[in-house]
Amino acid sequence: MTWHADASLLARYAAGSIDDARASSVEAHLVACADCRQAVATTVDTTRLDAIWAEVTDTVDAPRPRLVERFLRRIGVRDHVARLLAATPSLRLSWLLAMTASLVFVAAAASEGSRQPVLFLVVAPLLPVAGVAGAFASAFDPTYELATAAPMSNVRLLLLRAAAVMATTTLLAGLAAFALPVLDWTAAAWLLPSLGLTLASLALATWLTPEAAAGAVAAAWIAVVVASAGAADDRLAAFHAAGQVGCVVAVAVSALVLVRRRAALEVRRAL
Amino acid sequence: MNETSVGIADVSKSYGRTRALDGVTLDLGRGITGLLGPNGAGKTTLLRIVATVLAPDAGRLRILGHDPADADGRVAIRRRLGYLPQEPGFHPNFTAFEFVDYVAILKEMTSRRARHDEVRRVLSLVGLDSVSGRKIRALSGGMRKRVGLAQALLGRPDLLVLDEPTAGLDPEQRLRFRELLSGLAEDRTVLLSTHQTEDVAALGQRVVVLHEGALRFDGTTRELADHARGRVWLADSREPGARLSWRTGDGRHRNIGDAPPGAELVEPSIEDAYLFLVGEQAAAVAV
Repeated sequence: MTWHADASLLARYAAGSIDDARASSVEAHLVACADCRQAVATTVDTTRLDAIWAEVTDTVDAPRPRLVERFLRRIGVRDHVARLLAATPSLRLSWLLAMTASLVFVAAAASEGSRQPVLFLVVAPLLPVAGVAGAFASAFDPTYELATAAPMSNVRLLLLRAAAVMATTTLLAGLAAFALPVLDWTAAAWLLPSLGLTLASLALATWLTPEAAAGAVAAAWIAVVVASAGAADDRLAAFHAAGQVGCVVAVAVSALVLVRRRAALEVRRAL
Repeated sequence: MNETSVGIADVSKSYGRTRALDGVTLDLGRGITGLLGPNGAGKTTLLRIVATVLAPDAGRLRILGHDPADADGRVAIRRRLGYLPQEPGFHPNFTAFEFVDYVAILKEMTSRRARHDEVRRVLSLVGLDSVSGRKIRALSGGMRKRVGLAQALLGRPDLLVLDEPTAGLDPEQRLRFRELLSGLAEDRTVLLSTHQTEDVAALGQRVVVLHEGALRFDGTTRELADHARGRVWLADSREPGARLSWRTGDGRHRNIGDAPPGAELVEPSIEDAYLFLVGEQAAAVAV
């Protein structure tokens, strides 16, 4: 070895203030040169070294994130939010339920043969309603009491989960729509009802249990579809312009109720 | 008594027609308070109210200087609270580490490194560091209980609310748990419920007896035992003045109640006093 790294370069290397390319060339040299290793040893900040070592042991020790969590991180979700979403058992269960139900109705819609996919349009908006109820009902979430006593806002947790469930079910229902016999406006007519019903069930959950709220919303939805179909002599009456406007109103009213009554979700009246 | 951490004034709670708590008033300061009572006495309801999980129907609460009915106050309390529910609920597919890490996130520990360090610290406190990577479904009942306790210790809370923390622990684990808790209680408030009179005898500087939703006793363990002084005696059979009586290992009867003149009085235990207070309903559970 005929040359040595100069002291200022070694100091900057030890402080982590040189670029990766130069750092690798210094490292290559350090591996082969005992003098420079000795020189760098005196310039290394031990606090920084401890921090690096702690980071290394933590990375080695910490459990490997689950598949869903790795996917969420990859698409830019922060790691603790990814853990909340991916590691929330109720959410995973509700995803499973929603996905299974989705697949069932894809098959039903595809094999129905009707040119008016009423069943698809009635069921699709109910999937996120069921999924959201499953994501925060005490019956599904074993850590529900712990989550309530934790400082993280229950409303925030609930909305995070609801958003994840809605994104998943919307994607699934969107894919399922391709299986419909005719691709026209009806293939998207479930979107607004979907949002309206889910928000309505969340708003109602400030008075009722999540399960009861979901049940009430589902019953009301089916009643509205049946009643409007009968009145207008059109099976799709609920999905035309008036119905869609009604859904927008439901979204607005539910969002308002949810904002005003959100405190009711932070503590329980009964367990 | 040092500064009050938890002030409970005239708190009531009903479930439909069942009155779970009936005008309970209680102040808690630093140290361990053992809550004793038979099943259905209202212990869990009271702990849930102190843990801010459940709202009371009536009464006033002041916890760590805040009112839990107020949204900001509630969050401030929850930031300094460690809570072990009676059934903490685990996802069986979680490892011990993942579960405690998940609760740490709910406790707003967003920095991964710091959080993982804290998770390791509490798992090591309860002696579970060697099994932290094991799935919860593969852990014994006692180990699961300790995982539950570990999550309650996250973030060094000022107030620990523990619902039956010793249930399901074997005698050695119980001993270790008491040691751990005694150390923790030096600079914080611990409220725990139990069926086991020996737990409060070993742990509690203070004991509160709850029965049918009402406070029956509040004092030191010694004062509780004194409550039955002169009311516990040994005899060859159940005596007429005895409210409770049972045959002991040596064949004699231990009677609790109004001792007849000349009775062979014995030193009352905490259990005697507890049974004397809550009567036959508790006897069916505790004896």
